[in-house]
Amino acid sequence: MYFSFLKTFNDKILLTGNEAIAFGSYEGKAAIAVGYPGTPSSEILPFLSKFKGIYVNWSINEKTALEIAIGASIGYKRSLFTTKHVGLNVASDPFMTLANTGVRGGILILSADDPNMHSSQNEQDNRYYAKFAKVPMLEPSDSQECYYFSKIAFDISEFFDTPVLVRTTTRISHSRSILNLNADDMHNPIEIVNNNIDKQLINQKYTKDIEKFVMVPVYARARHKIAIDRLKKLREFSNISGLNKIEYNDLKYGIITSGVSYQYAKEIMPDASFLKLSFSYPLPDILIKEFCSKVKNIVVIEELEPFIENEISAFGIMLKGKEFFPQFGELTPDLVKEGLVKNGFLTELSGKKYTSNQQFNSNSNSNSNSNSNSNNRKNNHSNNQNHDKNENLNITAKTEDFNNFNRQDEIVSIPRRLPALCSGCPHTSVFYALKKLRVPVMGDIGCYTLGALPPLSSMDSCISMGLAFGAAQGLYLSKSSKKKVAAVMGDSTFFHSGITSLIDAKYTNAVFTAIILDNSTTAMTGGQDHPGTGKNLADSAIANKIDIKKIIEGMGITEIYDIDAYDYNSTFNTLKYALNTNTLNVIITNKPCVLYPKKLDFSNKFKINSDRCIGCDLCITIGCPSIIISNKLTDKNKPIPMIDFSCIGCSICKDICVFGFIEQIAE
Amino acid sequence: MKTNQSILICGIGGQGVVLSGKIISLSAFYENYDVKTSEVHGMSQRGGSVSTHLRYGEKIFTPLISMHSADIILSFDLYETMRYIGYANKETKIITASEGKYIRRSSSNQISLPTSKSIIDKIKIDFNFKNLFAIDIEKIARELGNVKVANTILIGTSSQFTYLKEQTWLNILKENVPAKTIDINEKAFLLGRKILN
Repeated sequence: MYFSFLKTFNDKILLTGNEAIAFGSYEGKAAIAVGYPGTPSSEILPFLSKFKGIYVNWSINEKTALEIAIGASIGYKRSLFTTKHVGLNVASDPFMTLANTGVRGGILILSADDPNMHSSQNEQDNRYYAKFAKVPMLEPSDSQECYYFSKIAFDISEFFDTPVLVRTTTRISHSRSILNLNADDMHNPIEIVNNNIDKQLINQKYTKDIEKFVMVPVYARARHKIAIDRLKKLREFSNISGLNKIEYNDLKYGIITSGVSYQYAKEIMPDASFLKLSFSYPLPDILIKEFCSKVKNIVVIEELEPFIENEISAFGIMLKGKEFFPQFGELTPDLVKEGLVKNGFLTELSGKKYTSNQQFNSNSNSNSNSNSNSNNRKNNHSNNQNHDKNENLNITAKTEDFNNFNRQDEIVSIPRRLPALCSGCPHTSVFYALKKLRVPVMGDIGCYTLGALPPLSSMDSCISMGLAFGAAQGLYLSKSSKKKVAAVMGDSTFFHSGITSLIDAKYTNAVFTAIILDNSTTAMTGGQDHPGTGKNLADSAIANKIDIKKIIEGMGITEIYDIDAYDYNSTFNTLKYALNTNTLNVIITNKPCVLYPKKLDFSNKFKINSDRCIGCDLCITIGCPSIIISNKLTDKNKPIPMIDFSCIGCSICKDICVFGFIEQIAE
Repeated sequence: MKTNQSILICGIGGQGVVLSGKIISLSAFYENYDVKTSEVHGMSQRGGSVSTHLRYGEKIFTPLISMHSADIILSFDLYETMRYIGYANKETKIITASEGKYIRRSSSNQISLPTSKSIIDKIKIDFNFKNLFAIDIEKIARELGNVKVANTILIGTSSQFTYLKEQTWLNILKENVPAKTIDINEKAFLLGRKILN
């Protein structure tokens, strides 16, 4: 019945949230699926591309992707647009107005947020986008719901004539859990409100409708009103669709929650009553009022911003949440426990066991929390410390947290492990040269952002995708640096949003050196194709390769240098020359990524001549993971590094060792 | 009735932490348990510290493990074992590589690394976590003929502390390693499974 790669067992499948979203979209009859890679959303489209009869492809950036989805919808097809949270900022221009025009074929906008910034530059809470644009939002809490919500989102979209936002977080997208294809609670909520779903909406012949899709003021004003009226209907749907669920249990304790926070809270306080919000914008006012009237004490548990808490307070119901749970980072089962102890729902027993607090009453609760700063990190830590006092171990409550590593150090010093560029990464030599040249470097987002970290330490900014060239122009205009400004950007980022700012730089006669680290892939997110690779997800046979150099030549920039990043000396010399020339010039590197599309391993490997090495540590400063400490010392007791088996033979270190003590291993 | 089991897998990016999580979770899945795992992708995979949380049992809500409540810690790097030791308690089976790797980042900032013995002593003696099993997997793997199966040995060792059957593990392992390495991985798994006996 299903595709073999789904590996069903007793009508169940073990899937990540992202895979479940892909499967659900397929079952929801999406015809066109597009997006730009970004952690934690990147795995959806590659998985969906395994299914047949659906067009799946990477787009040049999120704005273009959403525009493709909109066009498909105008053409009466269902479309999926996937993005990470910050990618929706890029697509926010079409998104905000699409919310007014509405759709023909259903549109699912999948935003994968990244609380705690596992791989992101900020941790914005995209639930606010639903409110901002007045569009409905679904928040799955496991793979089952990822599948189910993605499948029904298209019906909701078409029935209410609106795009639907499905918002996941890293812990949903990258968690594996079981999808039961026979689960009995996967009804179609639209059938509850309307038995006659108009199936004719999709797959029609194209027709014009300028009042719907041409947002000039006269039509736009009318559409905005329609969007406001729609919100009322959506709120009614939120109450009756069955997507938001009340689970009555002990009526003394009530928890209102959504997403993965529901799973944490449910495991920690199974005896509490729950209002689980899945259709979390607009919120179900009637359900909330009912829940609040029946349950004595209620707390809101949500990750990041007090979104639910503030929305509910707008109904005139004052509930607490962020007083007990942090407004930053991810929640964890431990932070949920801690918050529930703080608000008085739980009492801590010995040995880290908890029980519901039978003495609980809401008055003592509000008094005990006079400290309004309970959300700041310092305060949280002091709280952790109190918890740990009874333990014979002085261990932090959340070891994964960077800031807690210091406290871990008190036990046994385990140094922090920063992520690093791979062995043989062609970016290494460029950053090492930039470090030697001591110029200001405006940076960007990709693997090469790691060039900002020690020991390379040669990138000075990373704020948004495509920032580098614009920021370089601004830094040049500020005249605050005597040295010429350099800007680095990857090939995928250049296509995403670097082209426009390089044109602007040429147009305004800005002076800086633009370095394009072309490794022919979108490496950080797992090696996705882009216009420069000449391949694509849908069908590589019909992909064209767009030449970066020709684009730049077309801008009228004449000084363009190609460099071989594995030849350190010529890389350094070219950079030095370009950075001493008072014009806008461009350097393009040409060595491919060592991981994608295939793992590279050259036959010539290198070793350090430990008999001659003087322990100067120069090779250590390029940050290659294959160069590690050996047990040997020099005569002067300096540690001698060694190259381990992970060396792929890129030869960069050979050029760095000016003494010539790094030698090729004879074959 | 059997209770839920929580397994924390940790190591350095690129060591196979995510793949191990997949193998264990599929084994639990094919034995009809409810199972949830949580992985980290992206930035952390570039040589950073990586952990996968895995929980299986009759009914699982949270994919994340609470502090002091892992039943098994499976660690491919001794430094990471120490970093995540907060998830252990006195009963936890800690299956770890007996050595850790660390890449020095600069000559000026000399980091003093604790010795393997000091970490193991700290855990076994000071914390009194008796169920620590430190195994020199690289040495054993080299003897087997492929250093890359080192982690399979540890998976094998940890497997004996789970409720999952040997045959299920082997089936899933075969499906998830490169075809050429099936035999040596199977050997490594079975060796690891018996190593503590």
